[in-house]
Amino acid sequence: MPAALAAGAFQDYEDRYQVAIATSETAATGASPAPRGPNLLRRIASHWADYIYVAPALGVMLLVIGYPVYYTVYLSFFRTSPSLSMNDISFTGLDNYITVLGSSSFRDVTVNTIIWTVFSTAIAFLLGLGAALALNREFLGRGLIRGLLLIPYVISAVAASYVWRWIYHSDYGIIGALSMQLHLSDRPINFLDNTHTVLASLIVVNVWKEFSFAMIMLLAGLQTVPDQLHRAAMVDGAGPWDRFWHVTMPHLKGVTIVTILLMVVANLNGFTIPWIMTGGGPAGASDIWITQVYQIAFGRIRFGTASAYSVILFIIMMVLGYFYVRALGGKDDGRSE
Amino acid sequence: MSAAGADAVGGRKVDGWRWAGRIFILLLSIFAVLPMVWMVLTSIKTQFAALQYPPEWWPKNPTLDQYTTLLNPTSDVGREFLGYLWNSIWVCTVTTILGVVVAVPAAYAFSRFRFPGRAWMFYAVLLRNMFPAVVFLMPLFILMRYLHLVNTGWSLVLTYLTFGLPLSIWLLKGFYDNIPPQLEQAARIDGATRFKAFILIVMPLSSPGIIATAIYSFIISWNEYVYAVTFLNDQDKLTLPVGLQRFFTEYTTNWPGLMAASFIMSVPVVVMFLILQKYFVRALTEGAVKH
Repeated sequence: MPAALAAGAFQDYEDRYQVAIATSETAATGASPAPRGPNLLRRIASHWADYIYVAPALGVMLLVIGYPVYYTVYLSFFRTSPSLSMNDISFTGLDNYITVLGSSSFRDVTVNTIIWTVFSTAIAFLLGLGAALALNREFLGRGLIRGLLLIPYVISAVAASYVWRWIYHSDYGIIGALSMQLHLSDRPINFLDNTHTVLASLIVVNVWKEFSFAMIMLLAGLQTVPDQLHRAAMVDGAGPWDRFWHVTMPHLKGVTIVTILLMVVANLNGFTIPWIMTGGGPAGASDIWITQVYQIAFGRIRFGTASAYSVILFIIMMVLGYFYVRALGGKDDGRSE
Repeated sequence: MSAAGADAVGGRKVDGWRWAGRIFILLLSIFAVLPMVWMVLTSIKTQFAALQYPPEWWPKNPTLDQYTTLLNPTSDVGREFLGYLWNSIWVCTVTTILGVVVAVPAAYAFSRFRFPGRAWMFYAVLLRNMFPAVVFLMPLFILMRYLHLVNTGWSLVLTYLTFGLPLSIWLLKGFYDNIPPQLEQAARIDGATRFKAFILIVMPLSSPGIIATAIYSFIISWNEYVYAVTFLNDQDKLTLPVGLQRFFTEYTTNWPGLMAASFIMSVPVVVMFLILQKYFVRALTEGAVKH
């Protein structure tokens, strides 16, 4: 940045700074902070130095998010040649969308995706809720247990996938061996090469990996429940179950919505575990949307079709994203315009 | 706190719930920890011992061979593995530092200034959490080819930056909201320059937020796999998650070796997480909960 421009920015920033103080004071007293109306351009001009602060962040986000979104939507209307140079593309209208929605596998993959997302989210959330309630009281070693439970969440999904592949191994896996030793089964169990068990086996890994995320979110939520309310409810004769439903849960509502939304999106995007453990197999039994898109794009090099698929996923995510922003929106503690 | 109150009033019935909670936590801890214990136990077995039936529940002849091979720079395997390790460290460190440098001014502006489009931009940044990684994969791959960044660590740095940014900005904005502008004003009256006031007053007060966002972006980058496997091809550029996958295809029966590699890969993030647990938890839960 030229020195003159920088100096100008600083000068202007000085003025803005005074306004910021004034604004935060008016915000504190509850008055409407900013004038709205036709002089928007003048306001933008008078605030130009503020944008310098957010420009690097916005620039990176635009490059790595804005451009790809635009390009994905664009490509989804084109037929692409199976090469990575995007020279030779031709407009095909909605053909790619018809190909995706009309393909025979789309229904199966969608069913798998729903099973994967719903069960992963529900089980991980319930385990996390139980753990949060149990950890919400002081006891010796509480911090240690919380740390232990969070380790699966922080380690790499690739490492976790290989560990579980070894645990599930059809010949030397520890679960199979254990169930034979206990005479629960007469031969080693094949978890991952069986179309009936593969998805459930993957869900177990996913739950193992992410239940502590729900736990830590809900634990933070539980700390906002006032003790007095519990005492008051006890004085009124409410049992633990009543207190859970009528005192604790209403306070957890906001956290619960945000947590479940984040987990649903994380699971819809949960690429690594299925990809490393089974690659979508056997016979597509563990194929979900996201692994399918990857295969179409980088396995079959059909970027056009994959883009259309992506746009469909994108719309679904955006609907969820709308609810996410709305759930968070109330938390900007009245300082937003 | 509430537990003590519950005991006083609730009596026996509450005790039942408490025991149920303890047993539940015990079972859950076993579920969480056993796979990792099995990983470590396998990693100190010989290859022969790992493929026994019935399995050796406890290694009879524990050996650190796999670790010494992986960490030995003179062996082929060791050179390969240490290369992946170094690439991961480089990418994650650069990402983390740049992330802080970019997020701090943005968060400060979102907190202090009232410029048109502020709210809109703020939520647009937050929406990043919602985007499916694979949707961005193709266009970003094409973009990185266009920028000649494919097969370099920079393609990953640029991409990983955007993972951490929304959270960093959100978290740091919360910190700046709680620092009264009057503090900076006082420093200005005492003769500090604008920049000095920021460095000496605002930065120290927000350092917990900076630490939290830094370890969050480091851990996320360290574990990232999808972009790394797509953007990187050359063996000497791979980061650990992709390197681990390559190990698996090359030495597919050497389970102790793979488990040792997985263990080494997990150590930095687990240690970092355990030391800075408080901050990491804060990074995860910030925004969802009013403090």
